[in-house]
Amino acid sequence: MATDATTDAEADEPTDEAAAPQSPPGKWALRGIIALVAIALGFGIGVWVALPNHPGDDSAEVGFARDMSTHHEQAVEMAMWEYKNGSDSQLNAIAYDIATTQKAQVGIMSAWLSKWDVSQTGTEKPMAWVPGGSHMLTENGLMPGMASPDQMKNLRSLTGHDLDVEFCKLMIAHHIGGIHMIDAVLDADDVDSEVRELAEQMKKGQQYEIDVLQNKLQELGATS
Amino acid sequence: MASTKSENNTESKGSGSAKKNTRPRRRPVKARGAKLGGMSGTTIALFTAAAIFALAILGYAGYKVWDKNKPFGEQAAQKIDGVHNYRKEDPKWLTNRHVDGEQTYKVSPSVGGDHNSIWQNCMGDIYTQEIPEEHATHSLEHGAVWITYRPDLPADQVAKLQEKVQGRDFMLMSPYPNLDSPITLQAWGFKLKVDSADDKRIDKFIKAFRKEASVERGAGCSGGNTETGTAPVAAPEGQGMVQQ
Repeated sequence: MATDATTDAEADEPTDEAAAPQSPPGKWALRGIIALVAIALGFGIGVWVALPNHPGDDSAEVGFARDMSTHHEQAVEMAMWEYKNGSDSQLNAIAYDIATTQKAQVGIMSAWLSKWDVSQTGTEKPMAWVPGGSHMLTENGLMPGMASPDQMKNLRSLTGHDLDVEFCKLMIAHHIGGIHMIDAVLDADDVDSEVRELAEQMKKGQQYEIDVLQNKLQELGATS
Repeated sequence: MASTKSENNTESKGSGSAKKNTRPRRRPVKARGAKLGGMSGTTIALFTAAAIFALAILGYAGYKVWDKNKPFGEQAAQKIDGVHNYRKEDPKWLTNRHVDGEQTYKVSPSVGGDHNSIWQNCMGDIYTQEIPEEHATHSLEHGAVWITYRPDLPADQVAKLQEKVQGRDFMLMSPYPNLDSPITLQAWGFKLKVDSADDKRIDKFIKAFRKEASVERGAGCSGGNTETGTAPVAAPEGQGMVQQ
């Protein structure tokens, strides 16, 4: 660029006859090519910069938000059943806590997906966002810790003490599976800070609830 | 950007006349050329590139905003071949009151309308018998995608559909007699008819409308009716949310 400017300036000093050979058709063709390359480059960089700078459709964050929503929704289903039909007052409070907290977290994750401009759900297999995630699935192809359709059907048939016991068992397994999923997103590279923060809180809360539920199981005269 | 363009024009005009004018003694032209000496072809190219760079950003962002501002169902992701968008027609029957008793739906299987106060459980539930449409319609309102199939659909085809439903919340499936196509998919205000469970549009429809088509965002799929049958179940006592 600087060289060109100097050349042009020098060319202006002498007569026009000297300037003329500086701009043969060949030189303009070259300039044209440079211009085209620069335009293409500019366009490419422009599109690249304009692309949204947030987790994409196949990212760990998006996979986690979608799968954990599904996982949470089942915990809500189990906890609401216990809240309505169980007989232990302490479990009643725990179930209330699980249902309201996890449903609210589903809402938070849903808002992330909207903000990231990706669909609320994907059609990939569960855990596809985790390397080797297919090995984490249950024999029914469900996410870790999720109750099978038969287990859910059985749960819905129970009330009172029997339900209290079954709820503790299913929820302990559910939380343990959930923690595996949380660890998977925490292990991913450069995890979005908002996702990391909520995932860490989920892990802490669920670890605490596992202890409480295990104690409760013993108190109810059953073991996991 | 505007100034870049005008300089650009001036320069090309200047060079053009200077080039044509190979005869000497056109001092004014030469003076102009000297003034624009810094604007070589490369410089112009760089300015143009910068301008296009900015335009590309604005253009992409503009396209996204334009697409997002389109009504739901007409955005790029929801444009799937063969999908019937009833919302666009804004039919009078696409209402969402809670009503008791059996309902007659304009579209079969239903894609929306007044429905029972109890929804059909749609936590990836696979119903092997018919389910009451009054409950299923409530599930659609919550954002579920309801897959229906002819009762005589081959078992391997049914199995493929089950794989798309099991373990996935906001999904449910059930057989439906006298379907005008072997398989149909319903979301609130949307329908897709396909001949085979292998049709690629099934996954596209699910991705575009599952949860997304909810007209009651945040509403769930659990705690609903899990019974099959053709008539809606009565609301249990103490759950009287029923409006006429």
